[in-house]
Order: sequence, then C-alpha cells, then structure tokens
Amino acid sequence: MARYTINVNGESKQVDVDSDTPILWVLRDNLHLLGTKYGCGIAHCGVCTIHLDGDAVRSCAYPISAVGDKKIVTIEGLSENGDHPVQKAWLEHDVPQCGYCQAGQIMTASSLLDQNPNPTDDEIRRAMNGNICRCATYTRINRAIKSAAKDL
Amino acid sequence: MTKVKTHLNRRSFLKLSAAGGAGLMLQFSWFSALAKENPKLEAAYDLNGFIKIDSNGMVTIASPNPEIGQNVKTSMPMIVAEELDVNWKHVKVVQAPLNTGIFTRQIAGGSQSINQSWDALRMAGATARHMLVEAAATAWGVSASSITVNESVISHQASGKSAGFGEMAEAASKLQIPKEVEVKNIKDFKIIRHSQYNVDGPDIVTGKAVFGLDVYSENMVFASIVHPPAFGVKLKSFDASEALAMEGISDVFPITTYPEDFERNYFDINAFPELIVITGDSTWRIMKAKKTIKAEWEPFEPYTIKVKGFGGGKPNDQTVPSGIENTEKQYAAMIQTSQANPKQVRKDGDPDKAFSQAAKVIERTYTAPYLAHSPLEPLNFYANVTADKAELIGPIQTPEYMEQSVAQRLGMSLEQIDIQMTRIGGGFGRKLFGHYLVEAAVISQKIKKPVKLFYTREDDMTFGAYRPMYHAYYRAGLDADNNLIAFHVKAGGIPESPLYANRFPAGAVSNYLAESWTIESNITTAAFRAPRSNFMGAVEQAFLDEVAELAGKDPIDFRLELFDKAIKNPVGERNDYDAKRYAGVLKLIKEKANWGTAKPGLERGVAAYYCHNSYVANVVDLRMENDKPIIEKVYCATDCGIVVNPIAASNMVEGGSVDGIGHALYSMLSIKDGVPQQRNYNDYQLIRNNDAPWDVETHFVESDVHPTGLGEPPFAPAIGALANALYKATGKRYYHQPFMVDIEERYLKKETSV
Amino acid sequence: MLKNSYSTNGLKYSFGFLVLCLIMGIFTTACKSKKPTSSDYVSIPEAKMKDSIASLSAFEKVYSVLMHPRCMNCHPQGDIPLQGDDSHVHNMLPQRGPDGKGLLTMKCTNCHGSKGVPGDATPPGNPMWHLPPADMKMVFQGRSPRALALQLVNPDLNGHKNMADLRLHAEDTLVKSGWQMGGDRTLPSLTYEEFKEAWYAWIDNGAFAPSK
Repeated sequence: MARYTINVNGESKQVDVDSDTPILWVLRDNLHLLGTKYGCGIAHCGVCTIHLDGDAVRSCAYPISAVGDKKIVTIEGLSENGDHPVQKAWLEHDVPQCGYCQAGQIMTASSLLDQNPNPTDDEIRRAMNGNICRCATYTRINRAIKSAAKDL
Repeated sequence: MTKVKTHLNRRSFLKLSAAGGAGLMLQFSWFSALAKENPKLEAAYDLNGFIKIDSNGMVTIASPNPEIGQNVKTSMPMIVAEELDVNWKHVKVVQAPLNTGIFTRQIAGGSQSINQSWDALRMAGATARHMLVEAAATAWGVSASSITVNESVISHQASGKSAGFGEMAEAASKLQIPKEVEVKNIKDFKIIRHSQYNVDGPDIVTGKAVFGLDVYSENMVFASIVHPPAFGVKLKSFDASEALAMEGISDVFPITTYPEDFERNYFDINAFPELIVITGDSTWRIMKAKKTIKAEWEPFEPYTIKVKGFGGGKPNDQTVPSGIENTEKQYAAMIQTSQANPKQVRKDGDPDKAFSQAAKVIERTYTAPYLAHSPLEPLNFYANVTADKAELIGPIQTPEYMEQSVAQRLGMSLEQIDIQMTRIGGGFGRKLFGHYLVEAAVISQKIKKPVKLFYTREDDMTFGAYRPMYHAYYRAGLDADNNLIAFHVKAGGIPESPLYANRFPAGAVSNYLAESWTIESNITTAAFRAPRSNFMGAVEQAFLDEVAELAGKDPIDFRLELFDKAIKNPVGERNDYDAKRYAGVLKLIKEKANWGTAKPGLERGVAAYYCHNSYVANVVDLRMENDKPIIEKVYCATDCGIVVNPIAASNMVEGGSVDGIGHALYSMLSIKDGVPQQRNYNDYQLIRNNDAPWDVETHFVESDVHPTGLGEPPFAPAIGALANALYKATGKRYYHQPFMVDIEERYLKKETSV
Repeated sequence: MLKNSYSTNGLKYSFGFLVLCLIMGIFTTACKSKKPTSSDYVSIPEAKMKDSIASLSAFEKVYSVLMHPRCMNCHPQGDIPLQGDDSHVHNMLPQRGPDGKGLLTMKCTNCHGSKGVPGDATPPGNPMWHLPPADMKMVFQGRSPRALALQLVNPDLNGHKNMADLRLHAEDTLVKSGWQMGGDRTLPSLTYEEFKEAWYAWIDNGAFAPSK
C-alpha cells in the first residue's frame, strides 16, 4: 500500500492503494467514479478511456504509480453540465445502444477533436479504432464526431 | 375501436405501491446512481403499477423489461404514454423491478419485448387514461364520454373546463381499474412512430447510467471465481495459501452453483457447476491474487443433470459427456456426421426423383465456429442475501427465470427474492443464462455479507455458453428452363442443429427435403443473437446466390419468382413466413439501393431473411483493399410492422447488420485440448471502427401490422449480402466463417473435402 | 482465400523487445569513413581489432535477436507495428506517425504507459515507446543478415549514430527490459548477457557484414 495524491477532474484526491493498481480501479473502487468502465484489462477495448493530460489513455493498463502530477479527467469531468460538443452530438445522433462503451468512445473522440478539430473520415476511423462498440454503433459514432467538429 | 382486456388489479401491484416508487423497491442509501431509478415520489399516485402521476402532472412510467441496448426503456414507455395521451415531455421513465404480478414477460430475448408486450403496454396507458377521465367526470359532474384528453390536458368542451393530470391523479388512483378499455386507432398515434431520443442518453454520455458492474454498496465484499481451465475437467483440489497471504484477500473457498440433483431451468446452463471463489476488498487485489491459486483439475465421468423445458414442467435428464475437445476434431466430426444418418424433418414431393431428373445440380457446404458473446460488460452480479431476503441487482436478461432458480438454490420463497435490473452492458444472449446471479447469491449467503461478483474478461470468454458450431449442406436442382425444382438442406451442429425446416425456400419448391443432426459435447452453448438463424440465414442466402447464378438469373428476380410461387401456390402445410412481406423487403431494397446500378469501383451483394417475426433485406457495397473488404455502404430494408420509435429502430438495424458482418468476417473461438484458445480481445477479434461499414442506410416498410422486434432479424441477412458481395469482388465464394480466417487450410484440409 | 491482417491464434502483445530495438536504432553506430559497398563486408575503422570470422559469428547471434518478434515487431516494413510471436499486424492498426510515436488518439502512449501493469497480455510499459520515425524507418522485417548489417552501420539509414553510442547502447537499462516484458511472450534465444557479448564482439571485431 502506498499513498498517492492525484488530480482527478480538477480536484486533488488522496488514495491508499497498491502501487501497481491501474487507474481504472482507483477511480472505480476507491473514488466511486463509475462512469469509466472495465472491459478487458489489457487496453484492447477502450471502454476505460480517460484523459491523462489530455491524452486518451487506457486506464486499465496504466498504474497509479505512473500518474504523478498528470491531470486525470474522466467522463464525469469532461464538461460541467454534460454539454461538451461531443456529448451533445452523441445525443443528437442518439448514438448509444447498450451504452457501456460510450463513455470511452466520447473520451477518445473529444481528445481527437482537441488535437484535430477537423478530422477526415479516414482519420476518425483510425483514431477510434481502439474503442470497440460491441453493439456496433460505429456509423453513428463517426457521424456524431463529424457533427461535433462542426460545432467546435 | 379496439378493446383490450386488462389483467391488472389492485392486489397485483400492492407489492410495488407499498415500496413507494413507481414500481421500484430500491431503498438503499448508496452513493450509487441507482437511486435515480428509485425516485422518492411521496406526492405521486400510483394508477396501475406502470404509471405514477404527481400533483404537478409529471408522469413516471416504469419500463418493465431488461434494457440491453435494444432501447425498450424508451420504446415500451412510449407505448404506455401514447395510450395515456400524455405529453412525452412530462414523462420520466424508470426501470421496473421484476414483478410478475403486474408485468408480463420481463425478458430481453427473442426480439419479443415489443411484440409480446404491445397489448399489455397499451392497456396500461389506456386504463390510466380511463381512470383520469372518470375522475374528471365525477369532479365536474359530466359524462366521461364527453371528456377528451390531449397531451396531458383533460378537457370538457361544453363547459370549458380543463385540468392537468396532476389535478385528477389522486382521485383516479382510488378508482377501480377497468376490466376492459378502448385503445387508440393507430392512425391517431402521436408518440409512437415519432422518433424519441433514448431516455437514458443524457446519463450515458455523462457516465451516470448504472450498469451491473456499477452497483456498489457500503460494506460490500468483492468476489471473483476460478473455473476449470478446460471443458471436460472438474476441480480436484486447490492450494490458496499464497492468495490468502496477500493483502486485502479475505477468503478462498469452493462453491457448488448447481448441485447434481438441482432441477435446472432452461437458462441454468453452466459448464462449471463447481468453482473456487475468492473474496477481498478490491477488484484489483482479487485479480492479482486469483492467479496465484494453485488448483488441480481432473477429467470427469459423464454425469446427468435435470433440466426443465422452456415452459417449466417436469425436468428431463440430460447427460453431460466426458472427454476433451479439439476444434480440428470437431470439424472432422461435423463432416462425418453430416454424411451419416440425419433425421428427416420435412419432405415435400419427391426430392430424389427431382434431383435425378434435374438438368443442373449444385451442392455446397458451409460451416461456422463457436462464438463468444463477449458483451463489453463482463458477467457480474450484486447479491445481499440475509436470513429472510435476497436482494439481487445486476444485468440479467431473464429475471423471471432466475428468480425461480435462485429461490430454489437458496431455499427461499419467491416472495423473498427481490431482483432489480440495471442497464445491461450488452448481452447478445449470454445474459439470458444467469448462473452468475445464482453464484453471487450463493456466495453472499455463505459469507453473510453483501457481495459483488465479477468475472474478468478472461473468465467471461472462457466460461463456455458459446454460439454453437454449425454445418450445413445444401443441394439444389434446376430444370432445363432454370426453374428450381428440388431443394435439399441438411444442417447440424455441436450440440444443436440450426435447421428451420419450414422456412423459405420451403413452400416455394415442389420437391423439398430438410434433414437435421447433432453432436454432443461438454462445451456448453447458449442462444446467441438470432439463434440458429444467425447461421442459417447467412448460408442459405449465400447458397441461393449461387443457385441464381447457375440459373442465369438476377438474384433478386430469382427470389421474387420463388416468393411468387409461395404466394400463389404454396407447397406444404406449414410455411413459417409471409411470402408477401418477404418479397416486400426485397422490392424495397431493390428500389432504395438502386439495384443494377452499383457505384463504380464497388461490388454488391444482396440477401433477405425472415426470423424473430421481422423481415430484413440487405445490399452490401464493397471493394477489396490489401485483401480486406472496405465496406462502403450497407442498405437495409425492414418490415417489422409498426415502427414504434424510428430513430431507435434504425439504430438496431444498423448495429445488427454491422454486428453480423463483423462476426462473419473476424470472430472465432477455438478449442485445443479442451481449452478455449481465445481469452481476451487481443486474440478474439471483434469488428472495429476502421473495418466497419462506412455507412448504413435503413428503410422501413410502412405498415399498420402489429409491431415486431429488431434485435435479431438484421444479423443474418447482412452476412448473406456480405458473402455475395465478396464473391463479386474476389471471384471466390466464402463458405466458412469467419471469412478472414483460412478455415479450410487450418481445419478442413486433412479431412474429406467439404 | 483472403489473407487476414488479423489472425486469430496466439496473439499477444509483443512490444517486449521494442525498447531494445528502437534504442538500437537510435544509437546504432555510424561508419564514418566510407559508405557500404558491394564488397563482402564493411569494416569499421574505429574498431580496435579486425577479425571477420569472430565478427560475423557474433552478428549471426545479433541477427537472431534483432529478427525476433520482440524486436522486429516495431521495425516493420509498413507503417503499422507488428504484434505477437507470429508478428501479425498490430491490433487496432496504430500508425507510425512522423515521429514514430503514433497519431492523434492512437499514439503508443495511449496504451503503453511509462509503466505497465502486471498481466499476461497487458501492454508493456516504458516511457520511450515508439517506432523509428517516418524519415528513418530502420526496417528489420524482411532484411537479410547482410542488408541488416549494412543498414545498421549506414549513417544515412541508422539515424546518424556513432560507434561509441552504438556500443553503449547495449548497456542501457531499457535494453534489459526487453527481456522482462512479462506475460507469456517468447524471448530471443539469447539471454541479455549473451546478446550484449555478441553485440560487442560484432562491433569490436570490425562490424563485418555477412555476404548474404
């Protein structure tokens, strides 16, 4: 066990956890931020995606001991009122089916648009290729990203 | 006016009303956002278990069925709201708990939620509306028949009086529920047939929606399982000393989920009834510690389990065979068994004679592997079992069935079991089979603490309950004029046959033979999105494409000719499809996809299939790049009767089509020495964004027919259209799924060619 | 039959040896005096001694390590890394990008943290993860022993590195981690110590290139 002070959604949090604990389980088991999901534990499905200093990082494969002073943003902290352009576009296109992967999709999509506000279709498909949607809502995801890009 | 009978009475929802919510009994004070599903509605009046109305006129509608992504949590309340004549903006939707006294068929399966609950939902809305009108009539001293209701406003034109629902709710809640009520003329629908956004959308995009894995309570213990690494072996002994010495680990012990004499229901499928359980204070510590458990496993002898049929009744004995399976041998066994003694299921005319007289005969064989359902939310359940009550919360497609199983297993009465449904993070059939709910309950009962059981992805993928392996042999005979005069299908699988003997082209061919066979295995299988149809629809449509080509006919015209025959002069007594509706989706896809004028550089294939009461036709447009298909467009034409919620219906068809295409291209679960060879998404391939169709365009047949489901029907025909388009693009026919794996080279070469 | 860019069996992360390889790529020494010729070998003038037999024998061992999936997977011919003991195209198709660190939301570091978490198939962590950059791809995949040796000593192809750095590189702790990537990833047939020995022997004896 070790004590870590991490910055999550703009707040400083102290947690006592094993040093190899993935960020995912700190968020879920310790901080009860449950919007970030578990899907595979090996960075292959993307449902656990968070922002680490703005990068769309797989929290299941990133140990708490490597976070340092990097800023963590989870789906709960992406916007004040759920009104990030990507979140709004997701609603406009009624993207979710089961909804389990969508927080991860949104975190990846928002990081993509931060880095490239006007991605091509091909860039979107490539950038979103680490996020599995088992319900296969991919066409809506991509359309929503296009819409959000226009609204940025 | 259509009238429907009601099954509701005061007693049937007393259990609910007593709890204070609109059908919600949750009373815990957790940090869990589940509280959202349990609003405190002190000032609201319960009209019939489905509907609560508060004095401000806000209407809370309980959605009865498990929400698994099929969007019933929006579409089912829409039907209630339509008949209530409430303004949709005044509606709040909550998830109902299991309550068979009020709700009918609380199951997510078979694409039946809307189909089978349509009347009950209309009744729920209409009875409440009726009661509000009665209350207003009494209050105003006018006749009920002179009162109208429109978008949450109750009006009496002659007197100019009007009231909101809130003003009449208390009085209405004290009235008797009518035995029979009128429902609307479908021409007057204002909510149904108009797109309504997913009611949980805002929660989903902000991470607030609650899935099973998100159920946390105070004093909760985490638990996971260690199951046999191979099918065909069982636990002999284990040493958990290392795990027990690790920080945060509480206990390691064996459990028996289903004792051998346990009367299982249809959904109690479980390859591993004995497990090692590990409990502790965090998910991660358990994940680490469970790897250190050293277990010894031993092969088991064949044993017998008792399984009740789908509808219950007396259990039948089923034998679980011993032995260690290998995928290679399973393919060989399917080929061999297919050539042995199949069971004849249907025969029309004289197929032998017709084939012998045919001018052209074509025969083809198709296979498909095991698939892991692998919903992104792995199996999990929360259980808090005390001496007098079992509170069970989580993702389950069959709460009605599992209530019985868990009561029986815990030695409790049905009244003591309280099952709450969270959103389900995908199921595709896997979460019909609720052994994990029973396991959680058994663990909680044993340790006398609330427990959250979680499966890792690897546990989920290697636990069995797969889509069966399938094999189908097809033969068709054409006469000199290229008419289809003989058709033969022989299908089987491990452990079930996928055959639907009475489906198309049965009824459209004078000489028809359908045969079936099965092979036993100790590898468990389970209903997978569009069970059996997911294979038969795909391969039948690929075969018909070849037959049409042999006949020198356009594939759509060829099918339409057959439907024409099935309409005018059907063969046989029982054909499980409506040929007119079948032809209807083909005609619609022909028009919408501009059949005959493919975009330059793209090749296209077409298919149509009927299953789970709905009809879907697809056209797939693709090109090859680096030996992989780039699917630029998928067209879908669907007939599901009345389209309740167009935006969501379209979503289902889009996703179902892409899901079918993805599995047919990439997914496969193989077995070596009894051990599943794929354990996680690094080796089990699912379709990803970059490989998914770029665009899916959906069209629906305009229809006033009773609505049917969409979860399953789009899956199979998309595969057929894909296979046919791949042929056009490559000149090669695709017989073995997944198409991007060389099954022939890997598994079929050494054996008799198929 | 279509060839599958995904295969379905036995795929595991295989970035294990990436670090070794990319560092090697970065620090691979330069041959300052002359460019490679079509002769049977290229000599390194700075080398203390010249023994073509010893050098070539050592390079055989070096080559077996460099061409091992742990190493080669991040020196692909194309612009997508390889993965697994069968060196299939990396799941999710991450692209090289101009600096070798990936693109947008599919950078190496989106999944490969500065540290990894334990597990059979978890992505190994390292602060340095990347492929060779787009203007210096340092391809190993498909290279013959001769071609690879010539590439390693060619300053136009090896990242303009000098001999001292090349030698030093074997001591790097990141190189060592190539043998400690965890999971069930196979390792090169040489231990780290054996590799280091062979690496020195190849360079110190003249960095000769095999004839084939």
